[in-house]
Amino acid sequence: MAEPDAVQTFENGLAAIRDAYADALRAAKDEPELRVVNGRYVGPQGELTQLLKLMPKLPGERRRELGQAANALKQEIQSAFDDALQSIHRRAREAELTGPAIDVTLPGRWQMPGRLHPITRIRNDVVDIFVSLGFDVADGPEVELYENCFDKLGFPPDHPATDEHDTFFIEGHGAADAERVLLRTQTSTIQIREMMKRKPPLAIVSPGAVYRRDDDATHSPMFFQLEGFLVDEDVTFAELKGVLTLFLRRLFDEHVVLRFRASYFPFVEPGGEVDMSCVFCRAWEGDRERTAACRVCKGTGWMEILGCGMIHPVVFENVDYDPEKYTGFAFGMGLDRVAMLKYGIPNIKLLYENDVRFLSQF
Amino acid sequence: MLVSFRWLQELCPVDATVSEVARRLSLAGLEVEAMEEKGKDLAGVVIAEVRASTPHPKRDKLTLVTVFDGEDEHEVVCGAANVPDPGGRVLFARTGAVLPGGMEIAARKVGGVESNGMICSEAELEIGADAEGIVVVESDNDALSGTPVADALDLHDVILDIGLTPNRPDCLGHVGIARELGILFGVGYQVRKAAGPQRTFAAGAAFDSDAPTTQLTPLWDSESETVDAPGLYAVSVEIADGDRCPRYGGALVSGVTVGPSPFWLRYRLHNLGLRALSNVVDATNLILLEWGHPIHGFDLARLRGAKVEVRLAKEGEQMSTLDGIERTFTADDLLICDGDGPVAVAGVMGGLDSEIRDDTHDVLIECAYFEPRSVRRTSRRLGLQTDSSYRFERGVDPEAVPRVLASAASLIADLGGGAAATTAIDRVAEPYQARSIRFRPSRAQKLLGTPVSQDESETILSSLGCKIVERGDDEITAEVPSWRPDLRREVDLIEEVARVRGYDEIPTAVPRVHPSETGTAGLLRFVDALREAGVTAGLYEAVNYGFVSPEDLQKARVSTNAVALANPLSEERAVMRTSLLPGLTTAAARAQRHGASEVRLFELARTYEPSDDELPQEHTVFAIALAGDRAGWIGGAAPFDLYDGKGVIQAIIDGLLGRVPELIAGDVPAFLHPKRSAVVSLERRPVGFVGEIHPDVGDDLDLVGRVVYAELDVPALHAIAEELGPSQAQGLPKFPAVTRDIAMLVGDRFTAAEIADALRDASHGLAESVELFDLYRGDQIPEGHRSLAFRVTYRDPEATLTDKRVDKVHASLAKLAGDRFAATIR
Repeated sequence: MAEPDAVQTFENGLAAIRDAYADALRAAKDEPELRVVNGRYVGPQGELTQLLKLMPKLPGERRRELGQAANALKQEIQSAFDDALQSIHRRAREAELTGPAIDVTLPGRWQMPGRLHPITRIRNDVVDIFVSLGFDVADGPEVELYENCFDKLGFPPDHPATDEHDTFFIEGHGAADAERVLLRTQTSTIQIREMMKRKPPLAIVSPGAVYRRDDDATHSPMFFQLEGFLVDEDVTFAELKGVLTLFLRRLFDEHVVLRFRASYFPFVEPGGEVDMSCVFCRAWEGDRERTAACRVCKGTGWMEILGCGMIHPVVFENVDYDPEKYTGFAFGMGLDRVAMLKYGIPNIKLLYENDVRFLSQF
Repeated sequence: MLVSFRWLQELCPVDATVSEVARRLSLAGLEVEAMEEKGKDLAGVVIAEVRASTPHPKRDKLTLVTVFDGEDEHEVVCGAANVPDPGGRVLFARTGAVLPGGMEIAARKVGGVESNGMICSEAELEIGADAEGIVVVESDNDALSGTPVADALDLHDVILDIGLTPNRPDCLGHVGIARELGILFGVGYQVRKAAGPQRTFAAGAAFDSDAPTTQLTPLWDSESETVDAPGLYAVSVEIADGDRCPRYGGALVSGVTVGPSPFWLRYRLHNLGLRALSNVVDATNLILLEWGHPIHGFDLARLRGAKVEVRLAKEGEQMSTLDGIERTFTADDLLICDGDGPVAVAGVMGGLDSEIRDDTHDVLIECAYFEPRSVRRTSRRLGLQTDSSYRFERGVDPEAVPRVLASAASLIADLGGGAAATTAIDRVAEPYQARSIRFRPSRAQKLLGTPVSQDESETILSSLGCKIVERGDDEITAEVPSWRPDLRREVDLIEEVARVRGYDEIPTAVPRVHPSETGTAGLLRFVDALREAGVTAGLYEAVNYGFVSPEDLQKARVSTNAVALANPLSEERAVMRTSLLPGLTTAAARAQRHGASEVRLFELARTYEPSDDELPQEHTVFAIALAGDRAGWIGGAAPFDLYDGKGVIQAIIDGLLGRVPELIAGDVPAFLHPKRSAVVSLERRPVGFVGEIHPDVGDDLDLVGRVVYAELDVPALHAIAEELGPSQAQGLPKFPAVTRDIAMLVGDRFTAAEIADALRDASHGLAESVELFDLYRGDQIPEGHRSLAFRVTYRDPEATLTDKRVDKVHASLAKLAGDRFAATIR
């Protein structure tokens, strides 16, 4: 049964809403407030929603007309709401764009990378240069046979040449001959292993840990070496000089000058040592005062950097290569020393203490 | 080895500065490591004549000396007991002089008397070791008062410290280095005769009639006065082991008076690092430094039976060496014996009983060639390296024996005021065989990469002392000199040619490298990639020694079945590590002590395991350690726990292999927390483990808080990577996905992964992924339970999913959770 005052109530309600909603929406300062205001009219408990619940009580002949009016109002409110929301968004964006900047000095937010050990870094640098020249990388065991470390490399038995290799021996490996197994004292062992495995041509570098019974201010009982060798027909000393010059210039400075001195390693002949013009006082520039004051090269202008030579025919004989057919060169360097020179590390012990304050510097 | 530049110049004058000489020697393989100028820093020290000396008025042991320094008289207080009588000359430091040690001489009162200067000892001027007495100028020195001491005593010299490589025994004496200078500077070198002794005698009956002798007279450059032969027992020399002692010579000097050496000799020895003792002993040392050939002086009177026998020791035979230590020998040690027993260890050290003493009258000088390996073994066995063994084990010149004997006999006779026998015993058990080597200039050229002519090669080889015994087309046969045992084959001569010309003469060339088809082994490249991945994941690389102490292994509860060193430097580094744990946790503990709040480390290195094979097993292991707090953004730090370790491992493996490993229950090492650790599984295979370190172990390792540790088996990971091969591209989905969440209250006994897996399995292939996105415990959640919320992503690769279809499947998942896991869907 229709109630005559329902129409009145409905119409008054609509009018009241119509009069008020626009100002109310406009007055909202931000989105949440706007939504609250909007909800006050069209939310589940909103005034308009409540009004619409009166619909069944309206007389049939007015119901359609009033219903349409209510829906029209609802759409008006929706539209006004959308406009107001958009306007709030625009104002907020405007405010952010024109307002104060955020504090960009607060910390970044991401997992920072760690660091490679300086020895790994220098090894990668060295290896990359040789790989670009066509060399492969190889490695071998650190616990080695005496014969691979000395005999096959041409160290004569009971010879003082082994004095510079104060060796750690392994207990209990062949009690009859206590000195049969050892910690390798040089990465030259890999020359032997690779040559026994493969046939020329060979171009290989082999970095790795080596061990000597030396422990003082300038020696560490474990350190890293990198050995390189090239075996083919017609490999010459001139090419050894060429490769090492190229290598040191790429690693340190394109201007460095090399000096080859005769020296002795049982597995090379002719054998030599290479001095490089000091990279700290840039000795190649000829500033004598600067070089004289240089603490790294001690005023000489030179720094000893590696050992090298032509592979001794006895080594080829020991691995069943024909020394008349093949020639080759070999060289070796201490990666610790190269890292110390390159990164200005004053003390070899720092390399093995794993102090995070040190490791984070590279 | 220390070398006197002055002495070199006497033996082989070259027109070059000392730095040029040093440079050339260094380039040729005789590396000059240091140079020290002698006779400088003595300005203000002059010869002064003693005019008067009286006892100090107040101090017993002091003397007031008046000296004349060429200009004025000065009164000086002197504490030495050997102040000479008036007329004697001393070395006087004037006031204002600065001594080498840095002391500045100033006038000062000593016991109330002013002392104006100082009368100096050898030690004060650093020209000798004697610090007791003052230097009294020798009477045959005619320097006038006021002459600077460096001029008066002829102190000017430069001492070179040469680092000799073990292949060059010929350069272990000044003669050898002078010879090298002659070669390098192209001035040639001839060994000179020794100065003849002032007095000689004919040996006659002094030697056993069987003894082979050699005439020394032709090796001396001057005439001598002949004196009567002393009446000595006939000396005999026998070599029982000719392999060990191919040659043994002995010269006789009779009638010596043992006493101090003249200043020039003491000064020279001092500069070359030896202590002056007595004229006879100093002479043997000077001969050693000159020829590089060790000699030994026996007191003839103490050689029992006037007999020398060179033989192997009997096992357990004993003798006291010069240093006063009783030595026990093995049957591998060569001894010099007299009629009764050992008197010297051949080539190593003389015996205490037969050494030269103050009352020695007659000297038998030994000069021999001992087999290098034999000397070396004995020297090492006895732990006794001497100037003598150092040279013999490198190989002295067997042909130099007569020359060295002639020099030594002459020097000892003259210094001691005795007479030298004109012949010496020279027993040769194994004659020296000169070695001939074929040299091909074409081979040298091929090896060096620069032209080498036959003429130049001959010139260089001849300058070295090689005898050219045959010439052919591109072929020279050279007989190498007896003093170069290192020249054994053609390549050694090639080095000589290159070395004498200078390595700098060889041009540089770039070789044609044949790159291999295989390239670097995959495992090595994988190892590099793993290191990079560790860094990318935020870890710092550590490098530890390969050896640790057995105690470290024990404390870390890792295998103590370790590869042990036979001769470790210390107990701290006595065994090879069986795990990277001790090294990494030591580094972590160290960082914690230094106050680091966040420690993130990795190490990629080897562990070692004893094996029945020829060599121990070496395993390449990647390990990480996390300690302290994971930093949040401005505060919000939280202690590392298992999930950080899991995340790092997953990030590293996913980055390298495109696969995320799982953690599964399984056997983990005892050093891990039993409830907070797991096996890392990839492609259903274990590849490592991760966990928090067991709190008891953490205490033993001085770790603070929870420390996460993980290890990955590098070859196993690499093998999986090889099997998986490169990632294969997948087509992108054509139809959209639909996501639905499912939250449940479930008992702790079920793992999140097994629920997720069950949900996925129940979806009839429609669930593309099931991911945990919320976990909640707390109010309203019963004890032993947790609330888990999963987001399920549904997709049908062939069709667009309808809501109805998804609703149905999703409902079946909820039911499954309820049935299988007794879960309450929320």
